[in-house]
Amino acid sequence: MSADPYNRKVRDSFAAPPHAGELAGGIDARVDAGDLRVEFAATLEDGRIAALRFRARGCPHVIAAAEWVCDYYEGKPAEALEVFPIARIMEDLAVPTEKTGRILVLEDAIQSLGRRLKH
Amino acid sequence: MPGKMIYLDYAASTPVDSRVLDRMREVAELNCANPSSTHAAGREAQAIIAEAAAQLAELLNVSPGSLIWTSGATESDNLAIAGGARHRTHRGKHLVTMKTEHKAVTDVFEALAKQGFDVTWVDAGADGLLCPDSFAAALRDDTQFASIMYVNNETGVIQDIEALGTICRERDVLFHVDAAQAVGKLPIDLGNLPVDLLSLTGHKFYGPKGIGALYIADRAGCHVEPILYGGGQQRSIRPGTLPTDLIAGLGMAAAVAATRIEPDLAHLRALRQLLWEGIRCVDGIRLNGDPGGFPGILNVSVEDIDGESLLLALEPLLVATGSACNSKTGEPSYVLRALGLGDDQAQSAIRFSLGRPTTRDEVEFAAARYRDAVAHLRKLAPDRAA
Repeated sequence: MSADPYNRKVRDSFAAPPHAGELAGGIDARVDAGDLRVEFAATLEDGRIAALRFRARGCPHVIAAAEWVCDYYEGKPAEALEVFPIARIMEDLAVPTEKTGRILVLEDAIQSLGRRLKH
Repeated sequence: MPGKMIYLDYAASTPVDSRVLDRMREVAELNCANPSSTHAAGREAQAIIAEAAAQLAELLNVSPGSLIWTSGATESDNLAIAGGARHRTHRGKHLVTMKTEHKAVTDVFEALAKQGFDVTWVDAGADGLLCPDSFAAALRDDTQFASIMYVNNETGVIQDIEALGTICRERDVLFHVDAAQAVGKLPIDLGNLPVDLLSLTGHKFYGPKGIGALYIADRAGCHVEPILYGGGQQRSIRPGTLPTDLIAGLGMAAAVAATRIEPDLAHLRALRQLLWEGIRCVDGIRLNGDPGGFPGILNVSVEDIDGESLLLALEPLLVATGSACNSKTGEPSYVLRALGLGDDQAQSAIRFSLGRPTTRDEVEFAAARYRDAVAHLRKLAPDRAA
């Protein structure tokens, strides 16, 4: 049997991502890249990201990565959005290298969100 | 039912019927001889193979001597197309086929094109059907060979083989039919169909993998050049030691199919209707291919859904996004694109294929799962227009 293309984290995040959905009163940023669409929304409290939510249309790795990103940044200072931990995401979620470009779309969306939060 | 895999991929492969398994085991235990051997055990193996040929011949209404054993439909297609076209170069070098054929056919034509043959790829209509007039218009004075599949493996579309074959006979064009999805599932009377060459494989109709056959009509000018050499078996058309147990299994699958085609079709029609009624309410869904096609296949697309995510969300359903033979590429189906679907529609396509063991409970569960999966993915996605 060939290896499962999705590890447990991807499967769990895909099936029931806790950070999926809209965020009332949040500041959002969105990137469309062909068939892939991703949107993040955040609220700040004392300069820290109080809540971060996503909505995404993409493959299971993209959805799982969006969930991973939300979980990672929540509680961190807004400036943390300037650094995107792509290597950790790729490793944690066992993202195939050919999907790197899709994860970089998430990076674009997060950095766009960081810029919007500054203003 | 969650947790239990539900197999709805019968167009990719079918489970081996218990009677087929019994026959294969019996033969494997009974006889280890090479059927080419002249001693008693070899002759016994030959008799077993002759019995299987008679069973398959009866299913197709042909003479047993018109059947050549192969390793499966891919080899049969290669032998028929490459062997047939090379045999008929005196008639010309123009060949005709369809864009929606299986890769086992299209790749052979592409290889022949590189070797100097001239190939015309005819289009199907939006319903996947080939118009006989369009087919006739593609034939030229130097057309010597044509190949059209019986049942499309992705959409289930059934071509009008009788009409197309009649055109070929009138124009002295050798006519091959890839019937991998049709044999054992639809009534096929080759005694009355104008077909010169027909490819089939065992594992699509509850027989074993690794065994197939090519029918070669017993009429003047109908012949293929070998593509393999050595041994001299099967009149040197397809040499190689014959696998007695696999052939016996294919023969038994044919014998079972001969008694099951009509009840299987009635069963599949009811289940396909149940499945379609269960999912047609999904917003943006479309049925791909002629609705009157083979009832064991239902191919649907849905707007604005990622196909890979849909496939995962459909678990524990075991279904296909494209044909099993090319789904690893991740590319949208070339068959569906040839029917005019855009990348988005083709990429979200799911092929449900039903079989003899499929139950109403499984189909009802599948329909509910499909509705839930689409709803889940749409809930996750941002709106199309920002």
